[in-house]
Amino acid sequence: MNIAVADQQIKRANRLKATKLNNRMVTDYWDDLFKAKEEGRLVCWYEGVAINPILQAADIAWCHGEAMSALLAARNEEGPAQEAAEEFGYDRELCSYARTHIGCGVLTQNSTPESVSDLPRDSEVRKGLAARVPAPDMIISAYPFCSTGQQWDDMLYRQFGKKVPIFNISLPWIWGNKPSAKYMSGPEYREAVAFLVQQLRECITFIEGITGKKFDHDRLREIMGYIKRAAEIKVEAMRLCKAKPSPASFFEWTNSIAPVNFLPGGPDIVNYFEIKKAEIQERVDNGVGSAPVEKYRLFWDGIMNWNKIGWLADKFAGYDSCIVAGRYTHMGFWHETEVIDLDDPLDGMAQNYLTCPISISAPQMVDKIVEHCEYYELDGLILHGARTCRAFSYPQFLIAEGVGKRLGLPVAMFEGDMVDESFYKDELVNSRVEAMLEQIEARRARSM
Amino acid sequence: MAAHVLGIDFGSTTGKSVILDADGNVKAACVSSKGAVSDEGVKASLQDALDEAGIAVADIVRCVSTGYGRRMLDIADRSITEITCHARGAVHMVPEARMVIDIGGQDSKVIGIDPNGLVAQFAMNDRCAAGTGKFLEVLARAVNVDLDRMGEVALSAREKIQITSMCATFAETEVISLLAEGVAKPEILGGVHAAIAKRTIGLVARVGKREPAVMTGGVARNIAAVRHIEEALDIKLIIPPDPQIAGALGAALFALDDYRNEGASRRKADEKVEVDLEAEAAAMQNCAPACASKIAAALAIH
Amino acid sequence: MHPALGVLAEAARRPNDHARRWKAKTGRKVVGSFPMHFPAEVVHASGAMPVVLQESDDPITVGGAGMYPFFCGYTRSVVDQASKGDFDYVDAIMFGDHCVQILSAADIVRNRLPETQVGFYQLIPSLRDKWSLENSMRALDRLIEGIEETLGVTITEDDLRASIREFNENRQLIRRLYELRRTGAIRLRASHMQHIVKSSMVMDKAEHNALLRQIVDSVEPGADTLGGGLPVYVSGHLCQAPKPAVLDMIEDCGAVIVDDDLYHGYRYISMDMDETGDPVKAIANWYLNRNFGAPCPTRLDPGIDWDGWLLKAVDACGAKGMIVLMAKFCEPHYFYYPRIRKAFQVADVPHLLIETEHEMLGLENMRTKVETFVEVARRRGTPQRIAS
Repeated sequence: MNIAVADQQIKRANRLKATKLNNRMVTDYWDDLFKAKEEGRLVCWYEGVAINPILQAADIAWCHGEAMSALLAARNEEGPAQEAAEEFGYDRELCSYARTHIGCGVLTQNSTPESVSDLPRDSEVRKGLAARVPAPDMIISAYPFCSTGQQWDDMLYRQFGKKVPIFNISLPWIWGNKPSAKYMSGPEYREAVAFLVQQLRECITFIEGITGKKFDHDRLREIMGYIKRAAEIKVEAMRLCKAKPSPASFFEWTNSIAPVNFLPGGPDIVNYFEIKKAEIQERVDNGVGSAPVEKYRLFWDGIMNWNKIGWLADKFAGYDSCIVAGRYTHMGFWHETEVIDLDDPLDGMAQNYLTCPISISAPQMVDKIVEHCEYYELDGLILHGARTCRAFSYPQFLIAEGVGKRLGLPVAMFEGDMVDESFYKDELVNSRVEAMLEQIEARRARSM
Repeated sequence: MAAHVLGIDFGSTTGKSVILDADGNVKAACVSSKGAVSDEGVKASLQDALDEAGIAVADIVRCVSTGYGRRMLDIADRSITEITCHARGAVHMVPEARMVIDIGGQDSKVIGIDPNGLVAQFAMNDRCAAGTGKFLEVLARAVNVDLDRMGEVALSAREKIQITSMCATFAETEVISLLAEGVAKPEILGGVHAAIAKRTIGLVARVGKREPAVMTGGVARNIAAVRHIEEALDIKLIIPPDPQIAGALGAALFALDDYRNEGASRRKADEKVEVDLEAEAAAMQNCAPACASKIAAALAIH
Repeated sequence: MHPALGVLAEAARRPNDHARRWKAKTGRKVVGSFPMHFPAEVVHASGAMPVVLQESDDPITVGGAGMYPFFCGYTRSVVDQASKGDFDYVDAIMFGDHCVQILSAADIVRNRLPETQVGFYQLIPSLRDKWSLENSMRALDRLIEGIEETLGVTITEDDLRASIREFNENRQLIRRLYELRRTGAIRLRASHMQHIVKSSMVMDKAEHNALLRQIVDSVEPGADTLGGGLPVYVSGHLCQAPKPAVLDMIEDCGAVIVDDDLYHGYRYISMDMDETGDPVKAIANWYLNRNFGAPCPTRLDPGIDWDGWLLKAVDACGAKGMIVLMAKFCEPHYFYYPRIRKAFQVADVPHLLIETEHEMLGLENMRTKVETFVEVARRRGTPQRIAS
């Protein structure tokens, strides 16, 4: 068997130039957020689904907890925050997003006298990036599926001495009791959407109560117009990766989550995806792949390992493989643009929230992954079990069985985490991935 | 011969014995490692201690045991948990101590001490070897550095690297791949010590940081571990001259209390009620030899 | 041991066997559910026997091929039992509780039991919103429809009221035993108390009530139950029963457990339902008010603090300290525990954390901790009274 394993360290993934623009937009967003208080803007903290268009329409600055934790991990600044959380008593097995966010975002705030005293005076955390996030004026909890996400907001609320108003949105989990329950259809689904829309309307009333201003629905329509357009182009660009070799990888799409998750809805995000799509089209035209050599096309299931994006991209390129699509990137973040009616966007927004990659239960999820594997003509599945994100990792045995059985694809499962790298074991990853590539080779040899 | 008391700490990897005379002076303190939880280890350290003190088995009038194997020793008059004994021993060594960090072979504990020198709060690791002497032992072996020298080697590291795995088994594979990448041993060992220090943060948090802090247990003799823990906790650690024997010393001090209390209660009884003097005398005589004969029996089983 | 208690202990030890035998004997149906707040009254009203599916003592084997090891012992065990066919007697599974790990296990169980209807009727986790009652009632209506459809029965309001009465009686009888134990009139080890509550989750209620009445009637007043032991309160374990060996170990180290907020304990029986009026509304209100009986960290209830509530509960039962039993990987408990620890430290009430696992390891390590805790708490004497 001829597998290019020996020289895997040498090859590097071809990065898209558009990524630089994305990084600049992200930096601008955080810089803008850090100034919010000085500029007299109200700040909302939230986790889970992208309710930021509603906040943007109300002129409220927003801080997404997972985004904050991911940013710290991507910049290798997560350590002190996680230690601070451990020092406060949070167990290492608890959601690392929540630990990181509560650890740095809250414990370091001068506005929380209750917890700041727990930190050493000259703690690096106090000086770091995290400490610059402005304290919240309100918390909105809207977490799909995961009770931990919801409780995280509850703990923040308590951490701030219950002084910051909180609004709880309860997202129904899409389970499907009856045969009529299908992906985005059936009475159970419609009942869930209606309940969520009802809560979003109440949430707008809550926001009006805080700002003292009538909510600007026209502004929301305009913002959602940009988001819808940007997401459409994103999906079009993704679908170009059907080409062989694939012009972009899953890692490039993880780098593009920010514009469709928490960056402001406006012409910039549309422009960004236009540039990215053009660059991808150009690669398709010239036959340039994301991996220098593409022998294997893979699917990535699981949340991203934020401290290892670039490193993993190179690692898989080194294996002559390209991870073309993933549940995290391809099944969420305004992935269902058609249902967004710009005259009345709340229903479509609710539908996108309710079909995000953790809000649908396994049967529908497996169907969707099969669709992606077939469309992109993939050879195998990587299942990254994020140890402290049980919401994302629980269905992976069902995915491995379901997709494996239906398409006959080999899988590689390994444990890791989204922002706590102590759970990641490189040696284990290497041997699992190599074993899977050997299986793909063996299948090919048989079919020749 | 004069009466002596004995404290035995039957630990997971070492046996420790401390002998005190009736005035509380340390006459012997011995550590012996004979593999995991073995009778032999305890017997060896006990025999060494007797030799060192220059006394005979018959001179031991009270014995208290502690440590994981504390209930396995019939020679002891009673057993007390290692948490209580370590606190007692550490406070005896460093009277001003308000927190004891004890890192032994297979467990680590942090004990908060109240103003009376007694245990106020404590936290102990669970079943995992992360953050214990075992973790260091496994990784010393992985880089092929003598356990006694690893601290010294770690301190010569010029660069800081991170060992991310908390699990001893996975940290071992991580270390092996670092070696394969050509990372030097001092750097790797520096990372190993930083990892162990990180584990103490959570334990200290559970009892609340207090100072002055004393570190005991075998790992306290490792200078790099001490430095890294000091750094991680932003604290200055006091290391007593013989940090490993804190538990056995505590046990011996409790044995001494028992011995003295018994004498005292007898004297009290003398004053208050008429006693059967003959029976009392017999009891006085019996109690010391009873303990001594048990010890002699224990030593005889080889 | 009272003979009735022996019967309950047997059902508690082997719940699957017990339910299977009951089904064979009566020819009636059995509906399984998951913890923590599922109103089994609704299942009972259909004529089927509701059973809270339990963690088993068996090591996880085939179930390991369905769920990662970093999930809590309860969920891994349930997946394992489903994979091995241990739930073959269950006609349907109905559940409604929002905890990420229970939902995860349910999805895997559904996959492993393709012939069994596994229905989810989500009880809103946020308890104090304007729409909490309306949404809870809607979920209950859907649950009733689901049971009627799956079992081919009709459930009337009178059926529901009768079941509510039966369950209320059961809760009252167990609370009576708690009261007798607290006042010292009855000697019941914590493991026996667990048998009583756990068997209530897996037995026919009428039968359970009859046995409970025998036990209550046999109580002879006046005995000193503490016997010199240190009275302690036990908190935690929101879904699975602590291993009886752990409770016995605690009581063998010189402590006596006098009260608790365990799911297999006071938490399960803390609140009754209104027996008059609209039964669906009564059940919904019971659900929304359960936090007043024993706060649950998986529910959003801004007005309730589990930490402060526990301090009062410890004080009220005369305990000299609290032992927290935390199931490894229980995220709701992980999230709340630092606040509890802080509250107890500030109030200077001794407390001890013990983390438990499905694979019962390290009893010796636990014993060392408990022995020390008892020494410390004894010396500390009566904790300061907590201002109410």
